[in-house]
Amino acid sequence: MTASARVLVVAAAFALLPVLIKSDFILTILVFSFLLGMLAVSFNLIFGFTGQLSMFHAAAFGIAAYATHLAMVHLGVSFWTGMLLAATLVAVLSLIVGIICFRFRLKEFYFAVVTLAFSEMARLVVLNWNSVTNGTLGIILQDKPSLWLPGQGVVKVDSTLMWYFISLAALVLTVLVCLRVISSWMGRSFAAIRLNDELGDTLGINVFRYKLAAFAAGNLIAAFTGSLYAFFLGSIEPGFLSIEQSLAIVAMVLLGGRGAVAAPVIGALVLTSLPHLIHFGAEVRSIVYGSILILTILLMPQGIYGTLSNLGRRRRAA
Amino acid sequence: MGQLILGQLLNGAIVGTLYGIIALGVTLTFGITGIVNFALGAFMMLGAYMAWFLTDEAGLAYPLAVPCAVAITALAGLLADQTLFRFTRNNLVNGLLVSIGLIAVMEGGALLLWTSTPKNMEYVLPGVFTFFGLVVPKMKLVVFLVLLGVILATYAALTRTWIGRAAYAYSQNPEAAELMGVRTKVMQSGVVVYSTGLAGLGGALYASLYSIDPTMGSVYILKAVESAILAGIGSVMGSLFGGVLLGITEGVGSIYLPIAFRDAYGLIFLVAILLFKPAGLFAGRR
Repeated sequence: MTASARVLVVAAAFALLPVLIKSDFILTILVFSFLLGMLAVSFNLIFGFTGQLSMFHAAAFGIAAYATHLAMVHLGVSFWTGMLLAATLVAVLSLIVGIICFRFRLKEFYFAVVTLAFSEMARLVVLNWNSVTNGTLGIILQDKPSLWLPGQGVVKVDSTLMWYFISLAALVLTVLVCLRVISSWMGRSFAAIRLNDELGDTLGINVFRYKLAAFAAGNLIAAFTGSLYAFFLGSIEPGFLSIEQSLAIVAMVLLGGRGAVAAPVIGALVLTSLPHLIHFGAEVRSIVYGSILILTILLMPQGIYGTLSNLGRRRRAA
Repeated sequence: MGQLILGQLLNGAIVGTLYGIIALGVTLTFGITGIVNFALGAFMMLGAYMAWFLTDEAGLAYPLAVPCAVAITALAGLLADQTLFRFTRNNLVNGLLVSIGLIAVMEGGALLLWTSTPKNMEYVLPGVFTFFGLVVPKMKLVVFLVLLGVILATYAALTRTWIGRAAYAYSQNPEAAELMGVRTKVMQSGVVVYSTGLAGLGGALYASLYSIDPTMGSVYILKAVESAILAGIGSVMGSLFGGVLLGITEGVGSIYLPIAFRDAYGLIFLVAILLFKPAGLFAGRR
C-alpha cells in the first residue's frame, strides 16, 4: 500500500470516529490536535526534510491569524478571502526572511538565531501596536467562517463537528501535498540539502532555491493553519508568535518523528491531549512537557513513529 | 540631556556585565562541547533564588550566601551534565532541545516551589555614590566590579595557565589534545559546570538589585546569546564587550526610540552583524 493510500485509510477511520464519539470535549481536543498536527507537518518540511531549524514558524502562524481578522474587519472580506490574503502576506514575508537568510548562507545555529530574531521582531510589533492588535489582551473573534454545504446552503461553521471535518480535511490535504512534494524531485533535492548542502551544490542542485522553496511552503501551510486555529479558538493573542509556540512545534515533530511526513501528527495528538486527559497544574505541565522533550531526544531520537517502525521491521526480519 | 545619556551609558554597562557573564558561559560551552546551553538562563534563575533563600529565609550573610548559591548552582550543573549534556556533545540541535526541555523542567519546578509572585530581597548595601551629579547605587557598582573581576580572571586563566593552553589545544584538535594528555572528558564536564556556576553568580548578584521570578532567565539567555554572537562566539573578552555593547545600545536606544521596542534594538543589531560580519565584531581575537 502506498503512503498516500495509508493516509487515506487512517483519515477515513477518523472521519467515522464522530459516529462513536459524541463527546464535544474529545472532539475539541481532536480538532486542536489536527490543526497543530498540520502545523507540525508543515514545520517538518523545513526541519526534518530540508534540515533547517527555523524559528519563524510561530510567526507565520500568528501573523496569518492576525492578518485574517484584520482583513475581515478592515476590508470587509469573508473568512476564506481573508485567509488567502493572510497567506499571501506570510508568503511574501517568508520570501523576504528566507532570501536574507539563504543569500547570506546562514546555517544551523545561525539560521535558527536569525529566524528567531525576525520572529521576535514580529511579536514585538504585534505586542506594541495597540491600536491595531489590542496589545497583550489580544482580540476576541466572534465571527465564524461560513461554508456552502449541499442541501443546506450557506451555513456558519460553529459546531465542533463541522470544525472536526474541516480540520481533518485540511490536515489530510496537507499530508497528501507534503507526501507528493517529498516523493518528487523536489523532495530529493531537499534530502540532498539536509545531508550535505555543499555536496548538493556541486551536483548542480540550486541550494538557495530549494531551501527557499521549503521555507516558503512550510510557512504558507503554517499561515493557513493560523487562520483556522484562531477562528476555531475564537481569540488571538501575541503568544501565538512566541518562542514557546515555535518550540512546542519542534517538540511535536521530535516526539512524533521527523522521518515520515505524517509522523509529527502523532506528536501533536500526544502533546495536545495529554494535558487535558490528565489534569495537571500549569507548573507540573511544564515539567512533564520538558521531561518528554528530554527523554524523547535521549532515548527515542527517531520519535514514536521511527521507534515503532524499527520494532516492526526487526520483528519481520526475525 | 547629557546627564541622561551618561546615566544610561553607565546603567547599560552594568546590565551589560550581567549579559556578559552569561555570554561567557555560552561561549565557553560552545567552544568546548559544541552545544549552545540555553538552560544557562534557568541556572541564573536558580542562583538568584538560592541567594534570596539563603539570605532572607535562612538568615545567612549575603557575602556568604553568594558563594553558597554559586556552589549549589554548579552542583546542579554537574548533575545536568552527567545525566543530560554528556549525551549531546557536539550535537547542536539535540543539545539545544535538551537544554530547552531542561528550562521547562527548572522553571516548572521553581513555579511549584516559589510561585510566580516575584521575590524582592532586602537591601544588602543601601546608599549611593555620587560622581559629578550622577547617582549610582553602591550595590550596582559592587556587582559591576565583581562580574568584571570574574570575567578578567577567566581571561587570565585562559591566557596564562595550562588550563587555557589545554582548552585552546582542545578547540583546535580534540584528538591531538587527548593524545597530549589533555583529559577531554573532564574538560567538557568542567566547562559545563563552570558556565553554570558563572550563571549562578550572575543570578545571585542580580537578586540583590532587582526582583526575581521563575521566568527571569529567558530574557537573559537571549541577551547573552546575542552578546556572544555580537562579539564572535568563542571570544572571552568579546563576551564582555558584546554584553556591554548590547546593554548600552538598549539603554541609549531607549532614550531616542520608543521604549516598547527596547528588546528589538539588540535583535536588529544582531541580524546585521550576522549578515555582514558573521564572525563577530572582534573576529580573530581571543
